[in-house]
Amino acid sequence: MRLAGAELLDSREILPDQWLQTYRAPDLTAGVRAGQFVHVRTGDYSGMILRRPFSYNTVDQVAGTLTIHFRTVGRGTDWFTHLRPGDRIDMLGPLGRPFEVDSRSQHLLLIAGGLGMAGVRALADEAIRDGRQVTLLFGGATAREVYPSSLLPDEVEYVVATDDGSVGHHGFVTELVPQYEAWADQAFACGPLPMLRALAGLAASRSHRLGVAALGRKRGSGKVVPAGSPQARKKAFLQVSMEQNMGCAVGACLGCVVMSTSGTPQRVCREGPVFAGDEIDWEAGW
Amino acid sequence: MKAKRRVITSASLASAPRTPAPKRRPTVRRLKSAFAPVSPGLTGPRPVVRAVSAAAPAVSPETGADPAGEIDLSVDLGRGLVVRNPVLVASGTFGYGIEYGDVVDVQRLGAICCKGTTLRPRIGNPTPRVTETPAGMLNSIGLQNPGVDAVIEKYAATWAGWQVPMIVNVAGESVGDYVEVVRRLEGVPGIAGIELNISCPNVGRGGLQFAIDAGAAGEVTAAVRRATDLPLLVKLSPNVADVRPIARAIADAGADALTAVNTLSGIAVAPTRKKPLLGNIYGGLSGPAIKPIALRVVYEVSQVVDIPVIAIGGVTNLADVLDFLAVGAVAVQVGTAIFADPTLPVRLVEELGSECRTRGLDSYRPLIGTALPKRAGAPSARGVEYRP
Repeated sequence: MRLAGAELLDSREILPDQWLQTYRAPDLTAGVRAGQFVHVRTGDYSGMILRRPFSYNTVDQVAGTLTIHFRTVGRGTDWFTHLRPGDRIDMLGPLGRPFEVDSRSQHLLLIAGGLGMAGVRALADEAIRDGRQVTLLFGGATAREVYPSSLLPDEVEYVVATDDGSVGHHGFVTELVPQYEAWADQAFACGPLPMLRALAGLAASRSHRLGVAALGRKRGSGKVVPAGSPQARKKAFLQVSMEQNMGCAVGACLGCVVMSTSGTPQRVCREGPVFAGDEIDWEAGW
Repeated sequence: MKAKRRVITSASLASAPRTPAPKRRPTVRRLKSAFAPVSPGLTGPRPVVRAVSAAAPAVSPETGADPAGEIDLSVDLGRGLVVRNPVLVASGTFGYGIEYGDVVDVQRLGAICCKGTTLRPRIGNPTPRVTETPAGMLNSIGLQNPGVDAVIEKYAATWAGWQVPMIVNVAGESVGDYVEVVRRLEGVPGIAGIELNISCPNVGRGGLQFAIDAGAAGEVTAAVRRATDLPLLVKLSPNVADVRPIARAIADAGADALTAVNTLSGIAVAPTRKKPLLGNIYGGLSGPAIKPIALRVVYEVSQVVDIPVIAIGGVTNLADVLDFLAVGAVAVQVGTAIFADPTLPVRLVEELGSECRTRGLDSYRPLIGTALPKRAGAPSARGVEYRP
């Protein structure tokens, strides 16, 4: 975790109200892994007291640049859109635990709902760099909100679903998942809570039907890894990146918790934002 | 000698003998007369602010501050709890002191108030738990914590190796809860003091908060006082019509210092307008938005008690610190602003030192109480308009 300045290089409205910004921040890109995030301070300190968390959308560790992808939903995100190239802002990062890809997984299924693309985008880069095959399922409301394929690596197989059928599959992105679940070794998702809940249900039934509760749970492997640990997460079929209103982002304020199946609240900023699908208590209503 | 007193110096021991609190504290009328007329800039009006020779390098008062010398920022918060500087971090905003370790040198803080600790583990409130409001934030964490035994087991050994005093914030649902938590903290190396969060519902009394009733506040303070020799801070709630009788009751019950103020009760509405935003409906408002209220409470309380008052509420820069000192606080706690700027408390310590140097002071004490009425007389009629 480091506190460092970041210089805005490029700011683009890639979709209606959705922005992609590139920052030069060499101190914040070293050793970053997909799924981690930065906590960014707004300049208008008197009115906005909290930082804003953004997933690393893409990271270029050689050039020392990172991108963030966000939708303008309020004063804070609106403030970011008014920054000009050359402006410097203050970032805290990298924060949180990343996606954990099992070394034996060759076929990765990425599922993004709307702005959830920002959460899994970096994993596509990471997986392709490591020689894995990636299918990215994307769900959006209409064709206007579909993430442009030009911003994705060529190697990614990109499948789109829209709620109104204006492009791709007519329906929810979760309806596409059964076609890929036998192909996929692991799945990684980010998006609205109902989508993640549905995926967790699909993942549980897949484990039931295909007879594997988790990767590596084979004959002779009796080692028990504690739930919630990176090792346990690595073996999970489904990993989800969670979202929650956040205060400090370092684990101090306990504002950003999600309820786990063990009955103890887990901090999205510290234990997360990536959790195994079966780690989260989806019915807790938290 | 208990390790918790590691910040004690021989001078502070001599000036703060470990005697039990007197049964009857000085009455308010006597306190008023204790406020001698003060010429600002010469000395603070508060006798409780004692110099600590070990922490204060020898600087000749005649020549003023040596520009290269250290400014004496130390302050005795009572019972030998001497902090090296008057910038503390507020409970709930700094975890257990370890979370910000990568970006903040915690040893340079005056003291750390840890997350609210209860007798039994608590899982806290449903989410969302935090939301931003104009110049502030609402939170309703619901005192999520692993319980006092787990806190001691997990963190006390780390704290014992630290130079910075750790003040454990204690919450409870009954007087018995508070007393039991404090008993378990008593004598544990690494714990320098107790801060009572009395803005909790008193289950035994139909859920009425301790902090809004002078009797209940005094009762819980007295019970904890009997249970421990640790320095005892009590955190006042601003959600009352008149905070002065409550502050007096707490001081009379033997508290060593007061912290003012806790968060203000508030709510936010969800974007759908179908329900309140926070999972718990109610949250506590903090941040720059509440600074004027905190200033008012500190101003009122510091005139009616003779124990140190630690100000908290919307400190975001040096000017805020100076404001709170001027209305009678001897120290400040930084809270919500840490989320935006984790390095702020440490920077405030440096800035306060430079400010003293600029003004030619060798200590920050002359800055305390300068905006208080020059002579405290009959009980103030000000503030009467918001009495019920």
